[in-house]
Amino acid sequence: MIPILLADDDTELTELLTQYLSQEGFEVSTAHDGNSALAQARSGHFELVVLDVMMPGLNGFDVLRQLRVESQVPVLMLTARGDDVDSVVGLELGADDYLPKPCNPRVLVAHMRAILRRSENTSDNNTREAKPDLQLDDLQLQLGARRVLLNNTPLNMTSTEFTVLSILLEHAGEVVSKQELSQQALGRELSPYDRSLDMHVSNLRKKLGLSAQGEERITTVRGVGYQFMKGQS
Amino acid sequence: MRSLYWKIFISFWLSLLIFAGISFWFTSNYLESIRTETEQTSPRHNYRMYRLQAEKIALSQGINELRDWLKELDKREAVPYLLLDETGEDLLNRPVPLRLQQRVSRYAQRRGNDNEQNNADEQQTRHEHRDHDRRPHTIPIIVDNQRYWLLADYQSISLGRLLHRPRVIMIPILVAMLVSGIVCYLLARYLTWPITRLRRAAQQISNGNLNARVTPLLGKRRDELAELASDFDHMAERLQELLNSHKQLLSDASHELRSPLARLQVALGIAQQRNPEANKNELQRIELETERLNDLIGQLLSLSRLDNQQQLDTEPLDFDALVETIAEDARYEAQAQQRNVILVNNPPVKIDANAALLSSALENVVRNAIRYTPQGGAIEINSQLDTGTQQINLSICDQGPGIPEAMLEKIFDPFVRVGEARDRKSGGYGLGLAIAQRAVELHGGHISANNRTPQGLCIEIAIPGYLESK
Repeated sequence: MIPILLADDDTELTELLTQYLSQEGFEVSTAHDGNSALAQARSGHFELVVLDVMMPGLNGFDVLRQLRVESQVPVLMLTARGDDVDSVVGLELGADDYLPKPCNPRVLVAHMRAILRRSENTSDNNTREAKPDLQLDDLQLQLGARRVLLNNTPLNMTSTEFTVLSILLEHAGEVVSKQELSQQALGRELSPYDRSLDMHVSNLRKKLGLSAQGEERITTVRGVGYQFMKGQS
Repeated sequence: MRSLYWKIFISFWLSLLIFAGISFWFTSNYLESIRTETEQTSPRHNYRMYRLQAEKIALSQGINELRDWLKELDKREAVPYLLLDETGEDLLNRPVPLRLQQRVSRYAQRRGNDNEQNNADEQQTRHEHRDHDRRPHTIPIIVDNQRYWLLADYQSISLGRLLHRPRVIMIPILVAMLVSGIVCYLLARYLTWPITRLRRAAQQISNGNLNARVTPLLGKRRDELAELASDFDHMAERLQELLNSHKQLLSDASHELRSPLARLQVALGIAQQRNPEANKNELQRIELETERLNDLIGQLLSLSRLDNQQQLDTEPLDFDALVETIAEDARYEAQAQQRNVILVNNPPVKIDANAALLSSALENVVRNAIRYTPQGGAIEINSQLDTGTQQINLSICDQGPGIPEAMLEKIFDPFVRVGEARDRKSGGYGLGLAIAQRAVELHGGHISANNRTPQGLCIEIAIPGYLESK
């Protein structure tokens, strides 16, 4: 059983979801307001936090912002359906993925599993510390510590952004297809009209800024995917 | 005097009174001045002048010229100047009052006697000379050996005669034009000015600007038009309230529908989990319909959010990349339904936009086009930058049946159905185009629909864009 925290103010819904998720192999704890959600999430007991944006007290964004100060526990945001801004904000604050609510519980489980698979991979990396650091021009990726240094200054990155960047950097100078990137970084198939990958890349571009040559570091190769540009070499 | 009724009434009444007053005053003054005694300088002077003229013509020219001159004079002068012969007949055959006939016959006799008796008498000549100065009308004018006397008939000046003389009638006409012109101009301006304002406000409201009001523009005016304006404002306010509450209701209802829907979906999931084979078809159908309901609620909420949104967070984007991505996704979806998506033209263009909003707007249009294209057909997407106007013209054309001309503007309204039969099957235009319209307008663009030949519908989007600066 995988311990997860489900934070949503709709008690009837959390009851139903608890029932559903326990059948799928999750051990669900629930929180019904922002403060208790934050307190429980900080405990370090959970492998995943499912966080609804609309909650009394602290809302989902506030919880996420405060949680990220000390914890890198994977977070799946449930955003209000019909609000595209929410999803962007959630990702910028460091959510690993988002789902508009209401949603099909099967889709929810698929997203949860994808996030868990990904964090398993990274924690494997953590324990083994097999991979060396990646270095390209003024950019350094410490895969073990999951830190990004630009000109020796650390950059603040979400877990997903870090994963996307590490994949692109590993294949620097090559085009990485969107399908592959989605599979590896988000842990799921690329589906039409899903813009979350584009959003992660767009956030990455903003954080990395332009290269020393004054060019975009990550370019879009139309119809195929993304490419991390190698400097002069 | 606040009521418009009284204003109109008084202005017409006053202008008529003033006109009548002034023209009476003028005419009576004029008549008065003419009719006063012959001693008065001006009429006497006039008479002398005319007599001199008549004598001159009589001397140098003939009777015909004299007649012409007299006709001319008659037209010009309010006072009838008669030229009478010895028998008392007028040269122009005008009616001659009896007293003038008598006067003429008197003059004729006296002159006749004088001439016979003392023609050469010096004293008489002097006397005659004096006569000519003091009583010139007694001296005949001689033409073709006929004697004529020029007499001014001061007593038969009538209003009728006056009004027939253009020089005389000019005065009242001018007065009428001036008085009524000023009054009518002011009145007309006063009446139409607020009406123009009202009309402008009505136009604004029909164009969707429900904030248009008239009363503040009318200042301190308090009459029927001001009341109308204030009624109009009340109406606009009520309209705005209704529309807002209508939007609010839609938004609130959608919000509230989400919670039960979320529970419904989970409950359905539990049912499927327990026994995946039981009622499989029915549960799948329930799942599909729940998904549709979910989409609809999502669209309703997007629309109400867009309606309330005033400004956007934008960033520079590659418009062509965005179009390409959407075209690819749409192609993926369309090919599953034996339809194709063709990207005809997509030059590199930049745009300042909100990526999420603009993509969802374009997606809505493209997916709509797929829905109305028959199997085996294709959707054509064509993007072009007009470098002159700095506008991207994007057209998305389907091969569907098109829509009636009258509906071309209405398909951007929420839930508009174009024709019964066709839309039951396809679900109508729903909210997709409404969302697209709001999103495009928030980006400072314009969206319109046109039928294409031989068939199909084109959605055309014009939106500000620019060439890459490099």
